[in-house]
Amino acid sequence: MTRAPSLPVPEPEVVDVDVLVIGSGGAGLMAAWAARVAEPGCSVAIVSKGLIGRSGCSIMAQGMNAALGADDSPERHFEDLVRAGEFLSNQELAWQLAETAPEVIRLLESEAGCFFDRDADGRLELAPFPGQSRRRKVHRGHLTGLEIVTRLREHGARLGWRELIDVRALDLVVGDRGDVQGVVALDIRRGVGLVLRARAVVLAAGGGVAALYRIADGAREKTGDGIALAYRAGLAVRDMEFVQFLSVGLVAPGSRVTGVLLEEALRAAGGHLLNGAGERFMERYDPERMERSTRDVVAKASYAEILAGRGTANHGVLIDVRHLGPDVVEGTFADLVSRARRAGRDLVREPVEIAPAAHIQIGGVDVGRDGATAIEGLFVAGEDAGGVHGATWQGGNGIAESTAFGLLAGRRAAVYASGAGVSTGDGGVSARATDVLRTAYEPLARDAGPAAWRLWEELREIMWWRVGLARDASGLAEAAEGIARLRAESAAVAVAGGSAANPSWQEALDLGNALLAAELVVVSAAAREETRGMQVRTDFPVRDDAAWLRTVVVRGGQGSHGVDRRPVEFPRLRPDAPVAVA
Amino acid sequence: MTEPVTPETPAGTRPLPPVPMPPAPDAPSPSGSIEVTVARSDPKSARTFSVARRGANVVLDLLVAIQRELDPTLGFRYSCRVAMCGTCTVRVDGLPVLACQAIVPATVRRVRIEPLAGLPVVRDLIVDMRPFLERWAAVEPFEAGAEAGPGSFAIVSPDSSERRAIDPTLDCISCGACFSACGVAGDGRRFLGPAALNRAMTLVGDGRDESDSHALSAFGPGGIDDCHSIGACTVVCPKGLDPAGAIRRLRRWRVAGHT
Repeated sequence: MTRAPSLPVPEPEVVDVDVLVIGSGGAGLMAAWAARVAEPGCSVAIVSKGLIGRSGCSIMAQGMNAALGADDSPERHFEDLVRAGEFLSNQELAWQLAETAPEVIRLLESEAGCFFDRDADGRLELAPFPGQSRRRKVHRGHLTGLEIVTRLREHGARLGWRELIDVRALDLVVGDRGDVQGVVALDIRRGVGLVLRARAVVLAAGGGVAALYRIADGAREKTGDGIALAYRAGLAVRDMEFVQFLSVGLVAPGSRVTGVLLEEALRAAGGHLLNGAGERFMERYDPERMERSTRDVVAKASYAEILAGRGTANHGVLIDVRHLGPDVVEGTFADLVSRARRAGRDLVREPVEIAPAAHIQIGGVDVGRDGATAIEGLFVAGEDAGGVHGATWQGGNGIAESTAFGLLAGRRAAVYASGAGVSTGDGGVSARATDVLRTAYEPLARDAGPAAWRLWEELREIMWWRVGLARDASGLAEAAEGIARLRAESAAVAVAGGSAANPSWQEALDLGNALLAAELVVVSAAAREETRGMQVRTDFPVRDDAAWLRTVVVRGGQGSHGVDRRPVEFPRLRPDAPVAVA
Repeated sequence: MTEPVTPETPAGTRPLPPVPMPPAPDAPSPSGSIEVTVARSDPKSARTFSVARRGANVVLDLLVAIQRELDPTLGFRYSCRVAMCGTCTVRVDGLPVLACQAIVPATVRRVRIEPLAGLPVVRDLIVDMRPFLERWAAVEPFEAGAEAGPGSFAIVSPDSSERRAIDPTLDCISCGACFSACGVAGDGRRFLGPAALNRAMTLVGDGRDESDSHALSAFGPGGIDDCHSIGACTVVCPKGLDPAGAIRRLRRWRVAGHT
């Protein structure tokens, strides 16, 4: 039995700043940059749960779409995105992405010092990317995100933003007038609470729903924090039912390597996909293109095989590239051979177990232009924000969204923070901190209780088996029950090891946010009674434009989620508009 | 049209497999165990663990297994699992590696895991990267006065000598392995260290950048003259970069008067 918490909570420290940025990936760093440049008189601080620029997924971005080619235009980028998203995008946001991405690339090259690959003539190389009608992928090898984030981070010393490393935002504080007042946070290293009083806040914590799945390729820190903070502060979320999967994630039971991607290129090169019985199952789903079918079709087909019990013993399928020959496999795919080896598997000599990997949370906080929200002074950018992509996410638009909206939100936040009439002072942050911190410290005071990681593992299984790439009403109801049970158990989690730099405690704090984010996915998936994009409902297997050109919007508090089915607006491109001439 | 959502009663006919639960911690291990000795910052903490090899293929798996099943107070860092974030760097039997990349061969029966050298320990294997990052910042790694001006892209041939020198030195993940392995920086002495000087070389060599402050810092106190040319930085770099080569190049450029 657990006893009442009795641990003394140390007095929090107070930090005052004009613009507070939560998150240090592409969106957060770009927002900090933009805020310092837009209003040099504005102080800026970045809060990061891990190391700055190295605790999220921006660094893993392969390339960034930007309409920079002579034959390209933001209009065309916009249209590709909206059609791929099956017309659920907030078109104003999709337009802002397409319009701003070229500006971001120019800024990164001219001012941040990024160097993107050139073509043989020395001009910026624009590479093709699946789903893009024009060559618009700007890249630095395959490590484009690393180049962007590393260069932005370097400018901290020049632009003079403050870096609060290993600091976790616990909750947003909103004042009586509905404007943001700051954040209650925790200095993870010292185990001390922080009262961060800010005139404006940019929330860019990197989403995290994808990391709630058994097979997922994301960074460890992505645990739905931003979604949970915004939702608890009263904001609505949208499109949460859409979670993008990629088709080739490693399955390695017992290993953290599980979910690490083998590239789709293995399929393009002629790799075979086999189910547990050794059948090339793509024959049943796309007999013409087989394994060279699209990413989404292959992911859904693999998932269907696994769900039907035709997977491997470890609930995966197999990718077999042996017939390509050792020279091709080792020569062309050396990196992937080495990745598989870390799962204890050999791509050259054996079929390797894989499964679709949850990759990106498509939905997020319901925002307007520049990431503005219903809370004055609070802006949301990057994966925490919803509305850009619609029902499917396209490669190259992730880091584009993060940096474009980081730029726009950072600017707006600085202008807002510099304005007259912004409330200053404590704004109730200190009072709120007492409650928030007391709750956060509770697991440390318990002698016995479940370990957070066990509940985490169960959550990942529930999400994978019931909220994956084939859903129905009964499975979603089971998921809701399972998550409710985990929530009850999470209230009794006990953590040993004290408050300072204790990863097990942080895992317990992650769990609360993850469970709330998971609930929002389940509620949204249950509300959308059709199949579209990444939402596959086996009980509603058809896309239904007559009823479902609508956005699922969820708002409320814990325990009672209110669902709104809001009609989509088409200010720039109607679903019946002819496709632009190729 | 806001309405509360109550989960519908199960009506599906699709036979769903039960949700499998993770194996119990005391499940038998199929492939023996490994003795792991971990440096701890609290002398009262356990240091040696017998870890079941169940599924553990890389050092990170050993650390996660210890934290979950043997000692939840163990401190270590990791994030991306694919050698891009550079946050899980530790020393294994003295050699700095990325925990997510270092394979534990089946023949290995014991390993020793320690935090990076030359950096203050926060807890167990977690170090404070600030000294590393401060030295990186000391080479003033910001482009100043890009020659093409705002709004256009410099024409730079990929075959130019400039890019051939720089391109293979990019993609540093700031993991600190070179810093830890360096006989000077890792020994706690005042030296910018391999990663910062590698970055300085890319800036000195980049024709788009007109500033000479990088060269001043690289050639000044704590700069390339403090390098003892041991070359451990290049040996341990998990990305295959060559900071020792970058330092040699800076030395040649200084002789040639190139800033």
